[in-house]
Amino acid sequence: MKRILHIFTVALLFFVLSTSCAFSTEPSTIGITILHINDTHGHILQYLKKSISSEIPVGGAAQLAAMIHDERIRNPHGTLLLSGGDMFQGTPISNIFRGKPVIEIMNYLTFDAMVIGNHEFDWKQDALMTMIRSADFPVLSANIMDTKGHYIPAVQPYIILERKGLKIAIIGITTVETVTTTKPDNVTGLTFLDPEKILPPLLQDVRNRGADVVIVLSHSGLDADRKLAKNVDGIDVIVGGHTHTAVTDPVVVDTTIIVQAGCFGLYLGVLELTIHRETKRIVHWTRARELKTVFSGPDNPADIHVAGIINKYNNRIKDVFTRVVGETTVDLVQNRRGESNEGNLLCDAMRQETGASIAFFNSGGLKITIPRGKITMEAIYELLPYDNVLMTMDLTGRQIRELMEHGATLPHGGILQTSGISVTYDFKKPVGERVVNVDVGNNPLNPMNVYTVTTNDFLAAGGDGYTTFKEGENIRYGDSLRDVFVEYIKKLSPVGPKIEGRIVIRR
Amino acid sequence: MARQIFVYVNDEPVTVYEGMHVKHALISCDISLYEAAKNEEIIIEDKNGFEIGLDGALNEGERIYTRPNILA
Repeated sequence: MKRILHIFTVALLFFVLSTSCAFSTEPSTIGITILHINDTHGHILQYLKKSISSEIPVGGAAQLAAMIHDERIRNPHGTLLLSGGDMFQGTPISNIFRGKPVIEIMNYLTFDAMVIGNHEFDWKQDALMTMIRSADFPVLSANIMDTKGHYIPAVQPYIILERKGLKIAIIGITTVETVTTTKPDNVTGLTFLDPEKILPPLLQDVRNRGADVVIVLSHSGLDADRKLAKNVDGIDVIVGGHTHTAVTDPVVVDTTIIVQAGCFGLYLGVLELTIHRETKRIVHWTRARELKTVFSGPDNPADIHVAGIINKYNNRIKDVFTRVVGETTVDLVQNRRGESNEGNLLCDAMRQETGASIAFFNSGGLKITIPRGKITMEAIYELLPYDNVLMTMDLTGRQIRELMEHGATLPHGGILQTSGISVTYDFKKPVGERVVNVDVGNNPLNPMNVYTVTTNDFLAAGGDGYTTFKEGENIRYGDSLRDVFVEYIKKLSPVGPKIEGRIVIRR
Repeated sequence: MARQIFVYVNDEPVTVYEGMHVKHALISCDISLYEAAKNEEIIIEDKNGFEIGLDGALNEGERIYTRPNILA
């Protein structure tokens, strides 16, 4: 009897075990999809990129939205949508409305998180706060602190989301270079901490809170992300930005997967992760062709709602472009070969904005003559079409003279427009001896003195061969040149700049 | 304050200021490279062969390379 009972018990046990296995429908792995973009810089309108196609435009936010919808349908409960920062500054449609069109689109697309990029400070902290408060998604940065050692208001160091039963932590990191590469006023009172120091305790914190997977959303650049992955244990994925790198095939450093989706809305990054249900380890991931090009031709699906947001702001921008910012009582005339009253006006604006003793601007950077009368925003954009920023530096009198001697050698003109300094050139003299008189204010230029000079980033990089600008000391970044000029005209309108003898040329 | 940093364009060292972008490295190296990149006649890549944008950030010691855009 005992034997029969034993056989029955074993049979029952076998039945229970086998049925429980047979009826278990849970697979041993979980599929998670990370959708990511970065460095959109306000590019929500489609554009042509010849390295992709000379016929089909790319980069439209309406088409990007349709692609995001498609990806979400493929993995409805396991998809994240992330932004690697620098989303707003960079195009008229976004700049003029201080990022509102981009925020509206991101809200509609229900982003899961965005990290603060360095260019998020371009419009000062108040504008950033307005943007963050209008965002329906978490804005992250774990390494920006205020003077009291607190995270900046409305910004979180990390979030923990749940997808398919997995807890996924997302920690934000902003480039530490922000403090030196942004106009100082725009980051006043903020400290950007070394990610390698702040991440280990945060990683421990999120793991203690049950995070199964840790993503660092990093606006630091690919090289910095590699270093972070090498020096900090426990990061599963870094979703990056800042260097505008199209990481077509994810980079793996030790056990960390690093991705970045180029820039300007050209790509949607689609990182598929397969995670073991028990160990929570990533066992498979997208190893190649992680970036999907956002084609925006007539045959590419577009999201109607996003297209509506774009159209709304595109129509409004036409109004803004026709808006009058001021008036001029004289024609504002460009001149590559001598003094220009337009150049004088712009250089005066630059000098007033920065408090520098001297301002220089490349004559070729003034693109149009603005006729006497009302000055519209459109005219300002036509005059200054490039997104240049002010850069202020210390130069010696000897270096300043070198700059002007270089200007006197340029065969097609390109003399520096000035403020705070007057110069006499004698073009009959040999190269290197053509600058015959220079005064700063009412005093002769002293070769040994140090002067504060403001210019634009094109010249500061040595543009037009003005390489001496690359030798400056105490470099400070400033605001957008266009914005500075608009504010100056608004303040002083009507303007009537004259030829004052700042540049005298003997031929 | 931003400091001067060295980067390499096609293995040629150039100086730019910290916070400057790929376009500034091209301007600093050879303005014609910048013009060609703006006109999309050339493509800019990092040392791994990944394409980078003209407004991409630069790090000290970074190496960038140009190659003709065969589609242009």
